[in-house]
This record gives sequence, C-alpha cells and structure tokens, in this order.
Amino acid sequence: MNTPEVHIKAVNVAKSVKVTDGSLTILHDISLTINRGESVAIVGASGSGKSTLLSLLAGLDTPTQGEVFLGQQPLHRLSEDERAGIRAANVGFVFQSFLLLPSLTALENITLPAELAGVKDARSRGLDLLLQVGLSERADFFPAQLSGGEQQRVAIARAFITQPAVLFADEPSANLDAATGQKIEDLLFKLNAEQGTTLVLVTHNNDLADRCQRQYQMQAGRFLDINTQGIADVG
Amino acid sequence: MWASIAWRLFWRELRRGELWVIAFALFLAVGSVVSLSGITQGVQSALMQRSAQFTAADKVLRSSQPFNMELIAQAEQFNVQSARQMQFDSMLFASDMMQLATIKAVDDAYPLRGTLELKQSDNISVGEQAQLRPGYLYLEARLFDLLKLTVGDSLELGMSNFIVGGVIVNEPDAPLSVFGGAPRVLMHIDDVAATQIVQPGSRIAYRYLFAGENADLAQFEAQVEPQLSVHQRWQKMDRESAIGSALERAERFLLLAGLLGIVLAACAAAVAASRYAQRHTKAVAVIKALGATTAQIRLIYGSHLLLVVLFSLLCGVIAGQLAVSGAQLGIQQYLTDYRAEFSWRPLWLGCLTGLVCATLFAARPMWRLANTAAIEVLKQPETQFVLDKLQLITGALAIWGLMWLFSGELVLSIGLFLLCAVFAALLMVTAATLVKLTKPASAGQSSAGKLALANLRRRLWANSFQLITFSLAIFLALLLYFLRAELIGQWQRQIPQGAPNHFLVNITEQQRSILNDFAQTHQITLDKYYPVVRGRLLSINDEKLQQESSKEDRSEQRVGIGRELNLTWLAALPENNQVTSGSWFSADAQAQVSIESELAQRLDISLGDNLAFSIGGQQLSASVSSIRKVDWNSLQPNFYMILSPDLLAEFPATYITAFYLEAGREQLLNQLARLMPTVTVISVDNIIKQVNGIIDQVTIALSFILVIICFAAGLVLVAQVQATLEQREQELAILRTLGARYAFLRNALVLEFAMLGAMAGVFATVLAEAMLLIVQQRVFNLPFTLHYTLWWLGPLLGVILVTTLGWWQLKRLLRIPGAQLMRRVLQG
Ligand SMILES: Nc1ncnc2c1ncn2[C@@H]1O[C@H](COP(=O)(O)OP(=O)(O)OP(=O)(O)O)[C@@H](O)[C@H]1O
Ligand SMILES: [Mg+2]
Repeated sequence: MNTPEVHIKAVNVAKSVKVTDGSLTILHDISLTINRGESVAIVGASGSGKSTLLSLLAGLDTPTQGEVFLGQQPLHRLSEDERAGIRAANVGFVFQSFLLLPSLTALENITLPAELAGVKDARSRGLDLLLQVGLSERADFFPAQLSGGEQQRVAIARAFITQPAVLFADEPSANLDAATGQKIEDLLFKLNAEQGTTLVLVTHNNDLADRCQRQYQMQAGRFLDINTQGIADVG
Repeated sequence: MWASIAWRLFWRELRRGELWVIAFALFLAVGSVVSLSGITQGVQSALMQRSAQFTAADKVLRSSQPFNMELIAQAEQFNVQSARQMQFDSMLFASDMMQLATIKAVDDAYPLRGTLELKQSDNISVGEQAQLRPGYLYLEARLFDLLKLTVGDSLELGMSNFIVGGVIVNEPDAPLSVFGGAPRVLMHIDDVAATQIVQPGSRIAYRYLFAGENADLAQFEAQVEPQLSVHQRWQKMDRESAIGSALERAERFLLLAGLLGIVLAACAAAVAASRYAQRHTKAVAVIKALGATTAQIRLIYGSHLLLVVLFSLLCGVIAGQLAVSGAQLGIQQYLTDYRAEFSWRPLWLGCLTGLVCATLFAARPMWRLANTAAIEVLKQPETQFVLDKLQLITGALAIWGLMWLFSGELVLSIGLFLLCAVFAALLMVTAATLVKLTKPASAGQSSAGKLALANLRRRLWANSFQLITFSLAIFLALLLYFLRAELIGQWQRQIPQGAPNHFLVNITEQQRSILNDFAQTHQITLDKYYPVVRGRLLSINDEKLQQESSKEDRSEQRVGIGRELNLTWLAALPENNQVTSGSWFSADAQAQVSIESELAQRLDISLGDNLAFSIGGQQLSASVSSIRKVDWNSLQPNFYMILSPDLLAEFPATYITAFYLEAGREQLLNQLARLMPTVTVISVDNIIKQVNGIIDQVTIALSFILVIICFAAGLVLVAQVQATLEQREQELAILRTLGARYAFLRNALVLEFAMLGAMAGVFATVLAEAMLLIVQQRVFNLPFTLHYTLWWLGPLLGVILVTTLGWWQLKRLLRIPGAQLMRRVLQG
C-alpha cells in the first residue's frame, strides 16, 4: 500500500471577523489533514463554522491565524490573485446556495471556469457534463428557468469541468428531495471515484456523511473528537 | 477567453437598465457638447462672415503706397482671392455745380464678400440692375439732387469725363458710421490713371481685399507678414458690432448651461455605473471563486464600459453633428451667402467630454468591482445604495475640469465650482435633517403614508443624495426656462419692435421744421434731435496732441484724435450711458466735458484734466467732469465727447435724428432726399434683421439646452430609481408575503415619490429664485421682482416629474406575483 499523499492540511487555523462591536472568532484552533483521493465530510450544527472552514481550505479566504496547505501551496501566504490561479487549476466548488450567474445559460455557467482557465474544448466538456447530470435538454436555460435541484446539478457540473484535484461541496443536497439528493450524491462519489478527486463536503445528512471515508464534527467553531476522526490517524 | 465571457455577459446585461443609462448619459454629454459648441461656432462664423460682408472681404490690408502686385501673386499661390481698391476725396463737377465726394475705385473682383447693388436710375427703389463699368460713375442717391443730375449726364472728375451710370443701392463696405462723410461715388479702378488724381503727395488709401478658406488665409497671412512695410497693415475686423458682445455673453451662457446638463448626465452615469457594479458584486465573487484573477475581471467589465463608451461617443457625435448641420441651414436663411464650415473642434471637444465623464464618473465603480474578494460569495449581497467617497472626489474634479475646459477661465471655473459644492453640501445637510425630523406620525393616520416616510428615512443618505440631484435638475430646468425668457427679452429690448431703423444726419436748424412737417404728413415718429458740432481736440492739459501722420488711418480709428470729432451738448445723460466716475453736469455746469471711458483710457485722460477744442477756428477749453460708459450695442447716436450746454449752445450746429420706417415705404426716403438733399439718410434695417436672425438662432440653442437638461434630469431620476430596484424588490416580496395589498403598496410608493418630488421642487424653487434675483441685478440691471409663477411651477414640477418617473419604473414590480418576486429575490 502506498503511503497516502497529503492533499489538504490545516494547522491551528483560526478565523475571526470584524463585527460592529469588536471582533468575533468563528473558528478556533482547527487542524486537519486530508489525503489525496479521500472523501471527507464535515458535519455540525447550523452556524458552527462549516462553510467558513470550507472557504479557508479552498483558498477563498485566508485564516486569521494558522496555516493552510493545498498540495505544496501555502494558501495562507498567497495573495488573492495567486489563490485564484490555484483555484482555477485545482479546485472545484459547489456552493450552498448554488450561485449560478443569472445572465448566463446552464451550459455557459458550466463552461465558465474552463474558459477562465483557457481550456480549449470547454463546450464539448460542458455538454458531456450536462449529459452526466441529466440536463442535456436544459443547456440553454437560464438559472431562473431551472428548479432548485436542476440548479444544484448545474453547479456540480460546473465544479467538475476543470477536472479539479479537489472538490469542495457545501450542502450539495440540502435543498433537494430525497430522490434527487440521492442522485446528486451518487454523481459526486462517481466522479470522485472515476477521476480520483479529493472530496470535501459539508452536510447535515447522516447518510451522506456515512458514505464518506471520514467525518469531522464541528461545534461552535471547533472540532469535536469523535471516533471516525481516528481512522485517518490509524490508516 | 475572457473576451467571449465578456461579450456574452454584456449582451445579456443590455436587457437590464444600467448600461443603457450609462450609454444614454454619455450620449447626452457628447451630443450636447458637439452641438452646442458647433452651433456657437456656426453663429460666430456667421457673425465673422457678416462683418466680412461689411468689409467686402475676409481680410483687408491697408496701405498708403501704390499696389504691390507681388502680394496679389502670392495670394493666388495660397488659393486666396484678391481685389484692389483705392479711395480718395475729390471734387465732382457737373455743368456749373461742384461737390466734394469720397471716390472709391474698385476692380472687377469687387466685392469678394457681400453684394454690390447698383441701379440704372437715380432712385434706389426702382430701375434696372446695373453693372460697374469703366467710363461710368455710380453715385449715392443724394448726389443726384446735390448736383442736379440724372442718369446719362456727364460728370467731370480730375482730368476725365464720365457718364453717370446709376445709383448705389448697397455698397457692402460703406462706412457704418452714423455720421457719414462726404457723399460716395464708385468708379472702375482702370479709370483712375486717366483722372491724374494720383500725384505724389496726394492722399490715396490703397486697400487689398482678400478672401478664402480660413486655413489658406492664415498661411498666406503668415507668409506675407514679414514682407509688410510700415505703410501697410491689416485692418482690424469690426467685432464691436451691435451684436458682437451680446453673442459673446450668449456663448458663455450656452456652454455653461450646457455643462450643467452634462454634469447631470454624468451623475446619472455615475449612479448607474455604481449600481451596475453593485449588482455584479456577487457575480464577480463567484467568477473569482471559480478562479478568475482581478486582471481578468477588469478586462471583462472594462470591455463592457468600453463598448458602451464607444457606442455612445459615436451616436453622440453623429447626433450632435446633425444638430449643427440643422442650425447651419437655419443660419443660411438669415445670411443668404453664409458658407457653412466644418470644424473638428466640436467633435473632439465632445469626445473629450465623453471620455472624461466615462473615466471619472463611471470607471471608478467598475474598477472597484474588480477588487471584490472571492469570499464575498458567502456574504449577503449589499443592496443598499452606498456613496463612494473617492468617486465623489473624482466626480467633483471632473466637473471642475469640464468647467475649466468650457469657460477657459481658471478663476471663473474655481468660483463656479466652489459655489456648486457649497450648494450641494448645504442641500445635503438640509435634506438629511428634514427627512430625519419628519416623524412618521406627522404623515397622518394613513399607514401607506407611514410606510412611505419610513422608506424615506431608512434610505436617508441615499435619499439626500437623490434629493440633491432631483433638486439640481429641477432647479436647472427652472432657471434656464426663466433666464431664457429674460435673456431673449433683453436682446429684444435692445432692438425693440419699431426701433429706429433709419438715421438722418446733417440736419440744419432751418430744416428741422421742414422735417417735422414731413414726418407729420407721413405719420412718421421722429426720435429726439441731437445737436452736433464738428470740432477738433487740440490739447490735454496744454500738451499738444500729435497729429495723425497719414490720413489712411482715419476710418480705422473711429475718432482719429486731431481730426474732426462730433461734439454735442446735452443737459441730460443719454439713456444708455452710465457715469463711471465723476458726476454728470449739474444745472449750472460751466465749461465741463464728459468723455467716453475707452477713449479716456486710450488718451490717458482722467477727471479734472483740461481739454482744449478748436471749433470753427475758435478755441475753447473744458475740464473733464465725468467719464461715461457707453453701450455701443444700442443702435442710437453715441458720442465720445459731450460738452456742457453753456459751451456749445452758440455754435451753429447740425442735428441728428432717427425714425422707424415700415418695410415697403422706402420710396419716402427718395422724397426726403429731394426735399432736403443735404441730409444723409442711413439705413440700419439690414443690421437689425440680421441681429434678429442671430437672436433667433441663440433662442433655438437655448431651447435645445433646456431639452437636454430635462433629459439629463430624467436620466438621473431613472438611474436613481434603478439603483434602489433590487432593494425594493426584496422589501416588496416580504411585504407581499406578509399580506400587503396592491392598493396599499401602490399608495405607499406614490406617496414616497411625491414627498421626495415636493421637497426637491421646493428646494429647486428657492435656489432658482435666489439665482434669478442675483442674475437680474448683476447682469440685467433690473430691479428685484419675485417670479410668482416659479413658486407653484417648481414644486408642482417636482411632484409630477419625480412621481411619474418613479411610478413608471416601479409599477412593474407591483404587478409581479408575490411568489415570483420571492423566487427572484432568493436567487439574488
Ligand atoms: N462575515 C461574517 N461576519 C460576521 N459573522 C460571520 C461572518 N461569516 C460567518 N459569520 C458567523 O460565523 C458563524 C459560522 O458561519 P458559517 O456560515 O460557517 O456556518 P455554517 O456552519 O456553514 O452554518 P450553516 O449550516 O447554517 O450553513 C455563524 O454564526 C455566522 O453568523
Ligand atoms: Mg454553511
């Protein structure tokens, strides 16, 4: 068995934000290690800081304290534009609230990251992904014309178009009925398996969390020590 | 790759309002500058051409030396037309009578500008058109009576005999002085040699007339300049005409008024751009989260702005140029041989304005947009309209820069700018306090009213900003509307209907009663009689004045000092004269003189100086008791020197008077000439017609600005309302889901805008009234009068304008079903 390659590493990460009366610390002393190709779930109550942590790991934001590495890159030391470059090349992101651009069609939304990265066959890749998420007929629909689940699937297709090494998904099936949610989860794990993508997802859904190899439980900005967390240390 | 993304986003965004508002605002700015500057230039060049008609050429070179054919040859090289002309005074002999006349000898090319009209008759209103030919002389009408001649008679001039060929109906470059000189005669230049009048030492004025394209003329002038001898010099074109200064004032007013419209348009562009940027913050955050760099975002949104700017620049230039061409056609109706000239200046001035507006008003929000952090994706979008302080500063700088560019005066632009800034600050504070002070309870029991007020209060600063722009817009519209009336009124007052269009000069004491009778029988109203005594200024404080060396200068220097002056005596200060220092003659004034201010300056004469005059061989002296400013714009006899009545009353004087003659009664002039052959009739009818023509043009330009300002004001409103659209959508969605009914929401909306409009209207009215009062006093010298119409028109205009535009844009929102609204809001 090969020694697993560390893909994502956070060391003593803290995040505080400015609020009207002083500053508020929303993440405290978080450390984690995620190996390449692993699937990891982050669970916890609403407001516990899951989305915030995800944004730090993905390099959308920088921590107030501590270090975050994506591959060999020290994200906490890079500028906004340098991190953008890394995101373009390595990271896919499915947002909690989809965040499709309302003035672009489904297909255009999907191909956007590929076009930004200068990928040549963006369109054919996009059409292929549309097929995989079962929305071939909706290619030229605008987000406002799509249902919530359809938008979520478009968002997932968008996250995969650059064939990222790591995919972050924030509650990918939260707004969906059970059947559609199931379909989307299957899709995520299928892509994870086929492309060897590292998968980090936030969820309230225990079934989904259980499908992941490991779980981190959050509470009030800290990790709770739970059993499943030990697996990585052992393995 | 960014290009295709940019293009797609741009194309889809066109359906939303902001890009159009920016485009239309820039279009207005560019179009108005191109057209205003083009039209003013058109009117100005019309004026130049008109004065060219009065000199029969674009440029006149005067000389006391015989013609240098080398110059004429050079003119030809530069594509400049030329003509030669000689002028001298000589005696005419007809059988047993003789008369001193001013003879002008011209060549076939004369006149280069304007038209020469001759008739084969002794009557200016009947007879066939005649052509100037060698061997013939053409005479001013009064000479026929003075010398008892008819057409075909023979006439001696110098050593030659001539035949009387006809009457001069219109000589374009005849002196415009109200006190003409000797009667005028035209002859062909080829005949001059035979008369043997040109002898060494004889006083002959040689003139070269030149005409051509401005650029050619300028090149030619530059080439010739170093070759000119001391005897040759360019004649100054007469810009001191009745309309010159009025037009100058009009031009400044036009550009500055236009500028205010541009500022409004620029504000609209700024608001729309801010709004555009704000609405795209989330999208930019998403695109960045997906891996776009700041530079890529800049390219995407920069290209949006660039496309809009290019589009509006192009449209603005085309529309502006069309307006200019239209105006040129209009000018042609008044000045038949007006040559429309194409100029690049309005075009680049317009483009420059557009670019300044775009970069300093609209570019900043787009720039800031690109700096959005990727993490913004996780935050609630900002829907509140926020004022960007730096943009306020760059915007203000841009406004000042444009003011400077248009006025061309640093001090004026700074003053004007500070005034505007203080106004704006004052308004902002007042508006904010006012909105804050209004307690919801004061809106009565209506809950719609409460909601409207609450809305106003919640968007306090955004609303104060809106209030300022609305107020400014309405203020400008009102100010311009009233000022326009006042300006036009003032110009028309200068040349009122029925203002004298004919002057009678050289009337003797005895002729006055004959003239009075004549006027009575023909129902003509005579103006008052001004006495005129010819005299010479000999010395100032016993210092002898240098005599002018050559006679050729005399018509150029309106009063050559040392030559004869028209002196008058008056007990009362003439209407359009204003004493600037000293005081007007008291009833018992002894040996005093009042002098015109410019002449006083030129001759370095100050109060208390002693002037010596020679009148008919007698000498008298007077001390300067007052210096007067004379309104040369008024078509009335004006005098450089007015003496106290005690000094001149005994001297034999002639008189000047004036009257109005309706069109079609010109034959009376001939009767008058027969009755009093020695009296000169000078018609200023043509000048008055042209002045009226130009006033019409300026009036059109003013109305044009009014329209532009109204458009710009509307645009600001649209942009402002658009800026709150998203936020309103959200609130409406919530209110609707909470069960608010359509009528309630509608009332609240209408009330909100009506209140805003009313406030803006009242502000605008107060401002406009204050400004009008200042202008009335300072510019028009009129007494304070309140403009009552303004006081109901302003607030009413505010309510109607703001409510209509607000309603027009938001009624859509009210109609959207609650569920759909909710969904739109949730999707951000
Ligand atoms: N910019 C910010 N300013 C102030 N507070 C913030 C900011 N961002 C996050 N928070 C707070 O930090 C906490 C964690 O937020 P986060 O979005 O990470 O929670 P979450 O675990 O994703 O919740 P959910 O399951 O509801 O999505 C919340 O209480 C939130 O209010
Ligand atoms: Mg979350």
